[in-house]
Amino acid sequence: MMQPLRLSVNGRAHQLLVDPVASLLSVLRDDLQLWGTKEGCGTGYCGACTVLVDGDPVNACLLFAVDADQREVTTIEGLAPEKEDLHPLQAAFVARSGLQCGYCTPGVIMSAAALLAENPAPSSDDVRRGLAGNICRCTGYQSIVESVLDAAEQLRKQGRAGETPGRRGRIRSRA
Amino acid sequence: MPQLIGSQQPRADATEKVRGSALYTADVRLDNALHALVLRSPHPMAKIRSIDTGKAAALPGVAAIVYSGNVPDKFLDFGIKDQQLFPTTYVRYMGEPVAAIAAETQAQARAAADAIQIVYEPLQSVLNVDEALADNAPLVHPDWQTYKKSESRVLRGNLCGHNHIRQGDVDAALARSDVVVESSFEFSSGIPGYIEPRAAVARREPNGGLTVWCGSQNPYGNREELADFFDLPVENVRFINQYVGGAFGGKILMAAEWYAAALALRCDRPVRLVWSRHEDGLNVFPRHGGKAVFRSGAAADGTLLAMRASFVFDTGAYIGYGAGTALIATMIAAAPYRIPNTDLQARLVYTNKQVAGSVRAPGGPQATFAKEMHIDEIAHALGMDPLELRLKNVWRDGDSSPTGQVLSSVSARETLERAARAIGWGKPLEKNQGRGLSCSWWFSSCGRSEAKVSVQRDGSVDVESGNPEVGTGSAAGGLPILVAQALGVKLSDIRLTLADTATNTYDGGVGGSASTFSAGQAVEAAALDVRRQLLEQAEHTLEARSEDIELRDGRAVVRGAPDHSVTLGELAGAAGGSIAGSGQAREFSDPEFDAELVQSHDFPSWMAPSFTTTAAVVEVDPETGRVRVTKMATAQDVGFAINPTGVIGQIEGGAVQGLGYALSEELEFDRGGIVNTGLGDYLLPTAVDAPPIESIVVESPSQEGPHGIKGVGEPPVTTPAGAIGNAIRAAVGAAPHTVPMTPERVWRALREISAH
Repeated sequence: MMQPLRLSVNGRAHQLLVDPVASLLSVLRDDLQLWGTKEGCGTGYCGACTVLVDGDPVNACLLFAVDADQREVTTIEGLAPEKEDLHPLQAAFVARSGLQCGYCTPGVIMSAAALLAENPAPSSDDVRRGLAGNICRCTGYQSIVESVLDAAEQLRKQGRAGETPGRRGRIRSRA
Repeated sequence: MPQLIGSQQPRADATEKVRGSALYTADVRLDNALHALVLRSPHPMAKIRSIDTGKAAALPGVAAIVYSGNVPDKFLDFGIKDQQLFPTTYVRYMGEPVAAIAAETQAQARAAADAIQIVYEPLQSVLNVDEALADNAPLVHPDWQTYKKSESRVLRGNLCGHNHIRQGDVDAALARSDVVVESSFEFSSGIPGYIEPRAAVARREPNGGLTVWCGSQNPYGNREELADFFDLPVENVRFINQYVGGAFGGKILMAAEWYAAALALRCDRPVRLVWSRHEDGLNVFPRHGGKAVFRSGAAADGTLLAMRASFVFDTGAYIGYGAGTALIATMIAAAPYRIPNTDLQARLVYTNKQVAGSVRAPGGPQATFAKEMHIDEIAHALGMDPLELRLKNVWRDGDSSPTGQVLSSVSARETLERAARAIGWGKPLEKNQGRGLSCSWWFSSCGRSEAKVSVQRDGSVDVESGNPEVGTGSAAGGLPILVAQALGVKLSDIRLTLADTATNTYDGGVGGSASTFSAGQAVEAAALDVRRQLLEQAEHTLEARSEDIELRDGRAVVRGAPDHSVTLGELAGAAGGSIAGSGQAREFSDPEFDAELVQSHDFPSWMAPSFTTTAAVVEVDPETGRVRVTKMATAQDVGFAINPTGVIGQIEGGAVQGLGYALSEELEFDRGGIVNTGLGDYLLPTAVDAPPIESIVVESPSQEGPHGIKGVGEPPVTTPAGAIGNAIRAAVGAAPHTVPMTPERVWRALREISAH
């Protein structure tokens, strides 16, 4: 039996009927057509499906969509809405080539966003620990770490240190 | 105009990828698509008594079922014709596809798969190289004598490849050596490790042809193979490549594409097949496992005199693209060292496992690990510094390879010296810390590739190359620079399209470190063709001689008269709207070698070879055997770096893949089945496992490559395991001779020396 679901994704409210065993990942991709969030393993090990739920990074493949009811979900598409400038993290990944095939990239960037929200001035070891749940097979991680450190600096310079992406100016609340 | 070529530049696809708007195959959504599923063998070896799909086909929602009974009765041709699309008589590995189903829903496809009735007669299986080569071993291919094969291939029972390189008199040289060292090694098999599982969408077209959306390393080759198999005119088959979520050699051959296409030909709706990580692991074209024995002799002063090396590789149930591993292993076994007497052989055997493939640098990590660990053991026996032993024997310009190829642009010494210096070679370290080195060589290659470049009325530039962008940046990071440099335009003026066989030009695909060599040449030739036409047009417009006109900042400018200029867009407009040029890669003949020295070897000389050294520092916990790599430096000769950002990306990524190969990555089997198809227990390195990496870009130009380049993608994955193994030995006095060097294996190696 389908179950009602209300959630906010990238600042937009949605009301849906979903299969109670559907993952948040499948609802994002199949129902909301947000294909930026990727499936790499479906079992929570690769991190390609990382999104923010109320600001916390989660593997969208492991979360039942119904468990995101009444919550605020931020995906890669919500980090810098179309036509706006890139988020400093995105800009840094472009400038530093912190990506190759790009398949893990949305998840890596969302994990990094959560990390920087908590720790605006991380060391490179902090970044490595913060991204330990995101597997990248292409880059060897070095350019990713450099990208995140650059973005952290940029956010601090812009006075945006500690900002939770997708929630700019909004009051953080848990339903 | 600042020199673009050779400067660090971002990738053309980076913005799409960081926004999440880049589309991969699983993101391709066609209306009304059917869901597909592959039914797989539950046995490693069994005779198929019967297959009955009748009951399954009648179930609700089922649109089509394909199996051996309704697809062409043909063998695929990979030098030995040993494989059918679906097997008719025997299944030969656990997970081998036996049927595929298309249905309205995934659940209905699953129900149909369960209802297909197959009667198997399980047979004794062959699960490793020793079992395969044993006397009276069961045969993976009981009918091998009936198979057609090309003349150079060896096929005898479970033996499906055997090549040999011999020079001088090894026995006599060993007899007069002051030290003789023997080492034996084992290699586990491992996955390519791309994060995007295989997927394909296929649709039958009104003309009876097929369109396939896929993420392939080789869409043009795949298209020809598919058309040939299903007897379709090749022009009626279209492969539209998407962004590819990593490939590493695992996406050269078709996988999901075959089954989606076979089903789509029987359906009037598109068929979508997306593999789970588990299914992908069953059909992943892994790196070959196997073993090797080395026996070498040296004079007391460190001069290497002789080497005998013998490899056996497990290629799985079918030959596929597995043959290269054995050919490359013998080419690497004694390189890059002057050893006057060599006897190097490699055998390839069938086993009842999935088909091994051409994972990034096939044969490279295995052979280099064994050879470089062995070289260090010779150094220890001589009481000599491992770097000094290598430098004493390393090739120089004019030396010959074991197959008699005369070598030039030999940069092995420079890579050794610079990598060693980068990790502080020779300086004191703490207890249980050690340094290790590993040096090797690799080839460049060049495939067929064609390209078109056109300047549009608005000044933008379209680059059409069929070279797939699989993540390496060969297309997105390299090609735009070549065009921008030739035409004097900005990188942001260039539009690069993804491979599509209907609209783009032919390219032989990503593999063999060939992309920039072949597609780069084609694209640059096309850009120079456009340049010539632009200058011709500008002669009329500017009333100047072409040698007085330069192209810069998107304009044709008369030298010394900067106001006298015209935009490229205006030139295109004057020429009717666009100016287009085409180009193609040159063909190269293989370098000469001495045919007397080789036997059954299809790859005995290497074009524009490159040299690479990795140096590693490790810390070993002797209580647990845990190894932490604290620093890696790779010095790689790339000939010339068109975009150093891309080159460094390949070196860093290769270093960490090599680290995974060295320490953690291993497919584990239980009675023929893979235990760890998931990423929770197949351990790809994470950001905390990876050390800081120093990339040292050495540029010793090749004669053949455009701008002197050499192949870049594969070498950096070959050297890390040997460096890490040698560093472990330096740290604690012993190292495992099996990769991966897991904590348990390190601990056992330590126990063995403390027991003596």
